[in-house]
Amino acid sequence: MHKFNIDFMGNRRIMFAVSAVLIVISIAALGIRGLKFGVEFTGGTVINVVNAKTVSIEDMRKAFTDAGITNAQVQESTINGVRGFIVRTEVTDPKVANADTAKVAVATKLPSGEFQVTTIGPGWGKNVTNKALLALMVSILAILLYVSLRFEYKMSVTAVVALVHDILITLGIYALVGWEISPNVIAALLAILGYSLYDTIVVFHRIKENSQGLVKQSFMSMANTSINEVLVRSLNTTFLSLIPVVVLLFFGGSTLKDYALALTIGLAVGAYSSIGVAAPLFAMWKEREPKYAALAKKFAKAS
Amino acid sequence: MDPKQRNYLLLALCAILVIGSWVLFVPPNKKITQGLDIQGGLSVILTAKPAQGKTLTTADMDRAELIVRNRVDKLGASETSIQRQGSDSILVQIPGIKNAEEALKVIGSTGQLEFVEVASITDSATVAALRAGDDNVKIKAGTYKPFMTGEVVKSASVSQNSSTGQIEVNLSMSTEGSKIWAEATTRMAPISKGGTSPTGEQVAIVLDGVVKSAPTVNEPITGGQTSISGKFTAEDAKNLKTVLETGALPVTLEPVDTRVVGPTLGQDSLRQGVLAALIGLLLVAIYLIAFYRGLGVISVVSLLVFSSMFLGLLAGLSMFGLFALSLPGIAGIVLTIGLAADSSILINERVREEIGLGKTYRSAAASGTRHAIGTSVDADLVTFVSALALFALAIGPVRGFALTLMLGIVCDLLMMVLFKRPVIMLLADNIIPKAPAFWGVPKEVTRTGIAAAKKGGGVRA
Repeated sequence: MHKFNIDFMGNRRIMFAVSAVLIVISIAALGIRGLKFGVEFTGGTVINVVNAKTVSIEDMRKAFTDAGITNAQVQESTINGVRGFIVRTEVTDPKVANADTAKVAVATKLPSGEFQVTTIGPGWGKNVTNKALLALMVSILAILLYVSLRFEYKMSVTAVVALVHDILITLGIYALVGWEISPNVIAALLAILGYSLYDTIVVFHRIKENSQGLVKQSFMSMANTSINEVLVRSLNTTFLSLIPVVVLLFFGGSTLKDYALALTIGLAVGAYSSIGVAAPLFAMWKEREPKYAALAKKFAKAS
Repeated sequence: MDPKQRNYLLLALCAILVIGSWVLFVPPNKKITQGLDIQGGLSVILTAKPAQGKTLTTADMDRAELIVRNRVDKLGASETSIQRQGSDSILVQIPGIKNAEEALKVIGSTGQLEFVEVASITDSATVAALRAGDDNVKIKAGTYKPFMTGEVVKSASVSQNSSTGQIEVNLSMSTEGSKIWAEATTRMAPISKGGTSPTGEQVAIVLDGVVKSAPTVNEPITGGQTSISGKFTAEDAKNLKTVLETGALPVTLEPVDTRVVGPTLGQDSLRQGVLAALIGLLLVAIYLIAFYRGLGVISVVSLLVFSSMFLGLLAGLSMFGLFALSLPGIAGIVLTIGLAADSSILINERVREEIGLGKTYRSAAASGTRHAIGTSVDADLVTFVSALALFALAIGPVRGFALTLMLGIVCDLLMMVLFKRPVIMLLADNIIPKAPAFWGVPKEVTRTGIAAAKKGGGVRA
């Protein structure tokens, strides 16, 4: 039926090279362009005007200036074909922000229900970021522990290497394209942690199963067989997980899009890293064990 | 119990759960509580800042929460929700509020309640205004020094004096407070009553730098029980009582994350989210059936079982006020659709593979589902761990995402054990062997077939 026999392990250097290049680009992008943090991290107010009807950008700008917000950045936005505005200001007092928005609503004759006002106080972003980083650390530690206990520590270390790879590349893409990082993006990244591991663990599970009483081939080639055995599943599940998330990307509103974008990139990179990074690294490490080194030697000669 | 009986029992249990879920969640728009970002309203996270030089204690936060609750109740809004987040924050959600600005004023007005001797205020204009009996006199920081803060207030009440008919506000203080109060009121009382002031000095009750009342001390108050009387209307008295009660909070609450969402907007987002979930589900179903045929149909039914149990769980939690669906929550649900499809595929692939390796349908169904569920449990647990860390440690709206993700994983496991495995095992007995092509599985390998398969490679010991 759907049998594959692709030589992943033989081509692992190509995959490592691809990953290395992507990571270098990502780090460069993060270093040079940096990440664009949303208002949740910097403090300030974002006002979403969902349906702007016929109000022009100049009128909107003027309405904000008249309301007393002089440094408002007004941008046009389109959600599901409806024209609106996204306005960013530095106001950190929610009372002021809402009072001014109410004035703008009156001036532009738009119903106040069309305005969505988010105000983040100064210093809150640091709090959010710290908590997110803490969650990240704790979940990585917990995962290391779980995989070490359930499988072995070499699997957990290589799985985490793959994870860091996924997160770096996803963030790199955000830096490169200049998409805004919101707490939603961070949450999605954390979910990717778990999800990228899902793929890795499925591969590891099969490698562990196949490694029992291994005598007829080297660890490396057994690992390659294992990947091929679960390949259909991996491709199918990645594809199927991507479907709903991509649909969300096209149909969701702005909050949902935040999640969908990070999830889409993370899922794709995560699926790749299970096969391209985690499994080969793990196999290489295992081949250094005397038992498997002997096997590798034996079959290297034979072939 | 033989496997067959056990499988029927599991399916019966599953049917009960699914029917129960339907009873719980239909109609979903009524039975599943909607979060603020969906139904529209005001959502604000308040972070407590302790007074200078003090650290924030759990007791402070308990009091802060109680006070915020009082304030929100004062707004008269229904179905409000107040939750603690992290060690120093409180999330307040008020659905369908019209005047966000006004509400923010009431909620955010938290501050320090202070008792100040009017004669000690260094700004003469302020003193003059207070002497004249002006209302809500603002008092500049640095021009006064409180002799006591609101922490000493134990309780406040409003009563009517039975002999004079006057409305009074009664104030009860802690032992420590009573001592300071006794000392201060003795100093401020009229000379005729043993004090030092000719006619009695005024004491200003200051909330957030605004003098809420400045009664004159008529006599030394030594017992800690104080009554404030004057030309109060019932309304004035109630306000003063609230000031005294709510001001007892020794921390300032600052709004750090404030979101005001119009009602139409949230509904639009919900519609988009539900639409995305449905389209996602539909595409996944088409793909599953196209790829796995009969097994795909079972997978689709499994997804429906999963969705039913998921919605039932959400409705059940809503009933106890433990859940409200937010937009990040919808993102979590959409992600779990993929997760549930994953587990289904794991089972399908594994069963097909084992049949291909020469096992009978019956034994392939039993061992294939067992192995696949083993893999899923590991993979699910790891995802669960990340979600749990996010839920326990993160703050703000992302917790909704972590919550639905965790609940979805639970439903995924339930679906596999209670539905998918028993169904495949039962079908493998008689039904699948009759039409392997329809079910998308290879023909059962005969003895000669095994030899052929071995030649082709890929058979493991």
